[in-house]
Amino acid sequence: MNEQPQILPPQPYRQRTREEAFAPPEGARWWRISSRHKWYRRTVALVVALLAGPIGAFVVARTGGTPGAIVWGAATVLAFVLAWLVAEQDYQAWGFLERGDDLVITSGVFQRRIVIVPYARMQFVDVTSGPLEQVFGLATVRLHTAAATTDAAIPGLPVAVADQLRDRLAARGDEGAGL
Amino acid sequence: MNPHPYPPRQPYRPGWAPPPRPSMEVHRLHWATAPLRSLNIVVVYFVLIGMWLLLDPDDWFTLDPARILLFLLVTFPVALVAGAVGVWTWWAVRFWIDGDDLVVDTGVVRSRIRRIPLSRMQGVDVVSPLLGRLLGLAEVRLELAGGSSAEITLRYLGRRRAQELRAELVALAAGLPGHTPEAPERPFCRVGFGALFLSLVLRVPVLLAFALFVALVVFGIVTGELAVLGVAIPILLGLCREVAAPLVMYARFRSSIAPDGIRLRFGLLESRLQTVPPGRIQALRVVEPWMWRQFGWARVEMTVAGYGGERQALSSTLLPVGPREAAFAMVSEIFPGAPVEGVALTAARSRWRSADAAGISREVFVSRRGRFCRTWDVVDFARAQSVRLTASPVQRLLGLGTVQVDVPPGPVQVAAVDWELAQARGLADETVARTGPARARSGSLERWAG
Repeated sequence: MNEQPQILPPQPYRQRTREEAFAPPEGARWWRISSRHKWYRRTVALVVALLAGPIGAFVVARTGGTPGAIVWGAATVLAFVLAWLVAEQDYQAWGFLERGDDLVITSGVFQRRIVIVPYARMQFVDVTSGPLEQVFGLATVRLHTAAATTDAAIPGLPVAVADQLRDRLAARGDEGAGL
Repeated sequence: MNPHPYPPRQPYRPGWAPPPRPSMEVHRLHWATAPLRSLNIVVVYFVLIGMWLLLDPDDWFTLDPARILLFLLVTFPVALVAGAVGVWTWWAVRFWIDGDDLVVDTGVVRSRIRRIPLSRMQGVDVVSPLLGRLLGLAEVRLELAGGSSAEITLRYLGRRRAQELRAELVALAAGLPGHTPEAPERPFCRVGFGALFLSLVLRVPVLLAFALFVALVVFGIVTGELAVLGVAIPILLGLCREVAAPLVMYARFRSSIAPDGIRLRFGLLESRLQTVPPGRIQALRVVEPWMWRQFGWARVEMTVAGYGGERQALSSTLLPVGPREAAFAMVSEIFPGAPVEGVALTAARSRWRSADAAGISREVFVSRRGRFCRTWDVVDFARAQSVRLTASPVQRLLGLGTVQVDVPPGPVQVAAVDWELAQARGLADETVARTGPARARSGSLERWAG
């Protein structure tokens, strides 16, 4: 095992700049999720706002009076508007790429993130679709490895695409060893 | 506490006949299991019921003949039932080796068979409790990957049989024929009782707690105030937990290296032989508390996949204390290649994390952190599960990023914190690029040896 030289070949890639740190791998473009994802996010925000607004306002009104309820309502509206605006950014931030040996996922508006999972380390893949996601015809593909900290999920894929992706990933995972 | 300077491997002696192949027939537990289990039941019965039948709570020291009669009348059937249960449970358990599986049958009327594929085995422990050691008995525990019932316990076997079974299971899991004689081992490290005791005491939190305890007791004696006991006793219990419990657990610690894995022997009251195959160790951590660094001591912990919860904590120690050279020698023994201390590390850019550093060699990802208690986390690229690059809003303002290598749950967390963002991306890409060849080199992990 140790006969091979310890010296590594020169780095083939050029040094990235700070702005490129979350760019796709060399010579590739991110695959995008469905643009319906942002409408899904906005619907979730709307549902949460419609539930949290009146209930919260009612609870606050009992202790803080009318001014409290107004502040609560304003905060809810503000949060909803922010969520509405961020949904677009969030959709833009999502991207994934199937490479020869691994899957690369990027996401996050405020906290940027790139996760790289080698297919050989994948234990299983699952596709989930909640009630609201089903309304939009979307599904989430999630990769599981032996590490609990691996958080590799791609939301907002059309159901057919998600199923195809799952099948491709599962087939590639079979070639690897698992743990 | 000195690491042995690699004595030559023991030559194979042809005159020594291998033990008869245990895989040929069906085995039972040691016969003494039956009376021990019966005794267990009788003791529980006596404490809960028997004692109160025999003794009069109002008059402890005289025995009433009527009470003795009642006691005998109740105890006799109970003892019979206990004996029957003991024999029954002993008779019920049979185990044998079938191909690559260990088969355990715990049914009497109908067979209840559990098949354990040995390729999924993460480790084998031979444990002798105090009573078992007096009687020459031991139990064999198999650790399996994943699941809640991921541990198989065979309780009890004769000590010799337990050793033979362990050797056979390990050999089979390594893909060797079952009658392979136990692999020769090479002693690696031994921790003396004094050194262990000193190492447990010489820690800043322990010394502070002890000083606080003494101060409280002195204060209590001087002022005659008993309320200080309310604080002093929890501190004393904490000290017992932190010093006495590991002292009893890891006393007489010896580790040795064999082709089929690392063997750890330890325990003052309950002696334990733990076999950890190198291929099953996912990541390692070397801890150097501030006070230990003054003496050049270190501790080694490991992450083994499939050990969950309490078992993870119990069986994650690879070396309770040792010279740091021995600790790092242990690491290079498990993850062969460049020595961990020789890996060029790049320090974190941010001022408040400037003691942290990380770097990669051809085989391993190393990160070091902590100004006072220094921790080295090492993961072999072949065992890395996934790689993450993250940048929080604050980090992005400063142009920094964190690279984390995900490993199975355990004590080890490997991360290059606060690197320059572009460098961090380069590190993440490079880490992923090195996992593929590393996996190819390490070969299939389904088998232990090789």
